[in-house]
Amino acid sequence: MRDLEANALILKRALLERMLSTLKWWAGVLVPFGILGLAGWVLPLPFVIEVLIFSMYTMACNFLLGRLGFISFGQPAYLAAGAYGTAFYLYYFGTNPYLGIAAGILTGFVVSTLAGAVFVRLRSDYFALVNLALTVIFFYTLQKVLAPITHGDNGLWFLDRMQNTPVLDLTAPRQLLVFAWLAALVIWAFYKYLDGTVFGACCLATKTNEDKVKFLGYNDFAIRWTGFVIANTTAAFAGSLYGIYFGFVSPEMASAARAADPVVVTILGGTGTLYGPLVGALAYVGMKDLISRLVGNWEFFVGLLLVTIMLAGEKGIWGTLQPIFQRWAWRWTPEARE
Amino acid sequence: MNGGPLIGTGSGDGSGQALVVEELDVSYGEAKVLFGVSLCVEDGQLVACVGRNGAGKTTLLRTIAGFLRPSAGRIRYGNTDLIGRKPYEVARLGIRYVQQDKRVFSDLTVRENLELASYATGDRNWDIVFQYFPRLKELLDRKGGYLSGGERQMLMIGRALLGNPRVLLIDEPTEGLAPSVVDLLRDVFREHKKRAAVVMVEQNLPLVAEVADKVYAMKEGRIAAEVSDPAAIKKHAYEQYL
Repeated sequence: MRDLEANALILKRALLERMLSTLKWWAGVLVPFGILGLAGWVLPLPFVIEVLIFSMYTMACNFLLGRLGFISFGQPAYLAAGAYGTAFYLYYFGTNPYLGIAAGILTGFVVSTLAGAVFVRLRSDYFALVNLALTVIFFYTLQKVLAPITHGDNGLWFLDRMQNTPVLDLTAPRQLLVFAWLAALVIWAFYKYLDGTVFGACCLATKTNEDKVKFLGYNDFAIRWTGFVIANTTAAFAGSLYGIYFGFVSPEMASAARAADPVVVTILGGTGTLYGPLVGALAYVGMKDLISRLVGNWEFFVGLLLVTIMLAGEKGIWGTLQPIFQRWAWRWTPEARE
Repeated sequence: MNGGPLIGTGSGDGSGQALVVEELDVSYGEAKVLFGVSLCVEDGQLVACVGRNGAGKTTLLRTIAGFLRPSAGRIRYGNTDLIGRKPYEVARLGIRYVQQDKRVFSDLTVRENLELASYATGDRNWDIVFQYFPRLKELLDRKGGYLSGGERQMLMIGRALLGNPRVLLIDEPTEGLAPSVVDLLRDVFREHKKRAAVVMVEQNLPLVAEVADKVYAMKEGRIAAEVSDPAAIKKHAYEQYL
């Protein structure tokens, strides 16, 4: 009888722990996105849409840097691949923005698969530079080589070509905000899920010591390549959403001058942390909007902030705040109260 | 053939040979570092490679593990030729390499480190790991970066044992470790050589004397002596060739 009672207690405790763990998982997803969703009703719409899209762009860079150990100055190339994939479809072939987004994602997938097959064989500074070179190649290709179809610096305008769509009409800014919110939520949850998988552990292990990953019998090249494709297809998705949001794309999107942006925002938010890209994008776009209203050279102040954060411990905004929140949350646990 | 003297009974009649290295030449660019190295390890045998720094011991292990491509020679694992195989292919065949550096995946917990090995090998039974290293059971949720040197070495060896590999290559496992950990590892090696062939690079000669069935003394990229007589191993008879 006592055994039965003990077993029932153990089962009850295990169920409770599982429920708490599930609750924690969903709270981790829904609280930040709930706040961002509410922000869409309080803050200016363009600001929130840009934060959401930029956070997706940063999630890609964060995965490359924080999980695979790749610092990439080539993110504008993948962003532009997605944007131009969408733009070509909507300018030349069709009018459905959803199909445009699908075309952008597909373009990003193809570009990152081809580039990744070569680039992920390189490490550290060589990887960073070869990606930067790709951005420069993309910029000049879009600006000059493909000018007859990209219209060079004039870009492609397709805002008035996009048709209204059922359920969520992407031509309506408020509904585009909901779509961007959903897209960012799904991408973020996907990366959160990846963290708990063997593939996620392999990525982190590759970052720490790729030789040892090989000793365990894993094909480290395949791990890096897959991670690279996942990250840069995400960047292309963000590019595609930028295209839909502005209804316009230009080679400026692939400008090498913007190559450091996602890296800076990743570090600003907190490299390798799940909330880092959200916090970083919010801080970056916020500073850009706020400071650029007051002074012209807003990049100067972002640079200053970045240097300060690096000197404070390289953890970024979320990396610094997280332990404080954790300590605060721990105070409310039964263990702490005892 | 190795140029040095043979002390003892030799390396057997060929049956049960887990790993055979024949006339291996390895170079780093222009610099040749291994010269016609031959080595044989049988199932249930622990072979130690001893020698001064720069003798080529680690290079030998890295070549067997597939990290370096020899310019000449053969490496046979059972009936399989290992030359030209990638490191992960060598690992999948059942040869595990435990590096000297004692670096684990610092961002992953002990559990995740073991899970990585489990997933790669399909072996989800960690009993052997906890049998050898019970301490790891208490540390399952600790990140690799927060382990002591000895705990990291336990994790590295434990991880390599999953999947029941036929050959274990271990590079200087006791370097820089506390005497109590060295004692533990000595017991583990004694026990585990019953299950697998072990090639161990080691400078701790008293430990070698206690666990090795055969010793290869390496000097300047060559095998200077091969000792398989237990009494000679106990007396460190190979020391004069180092």
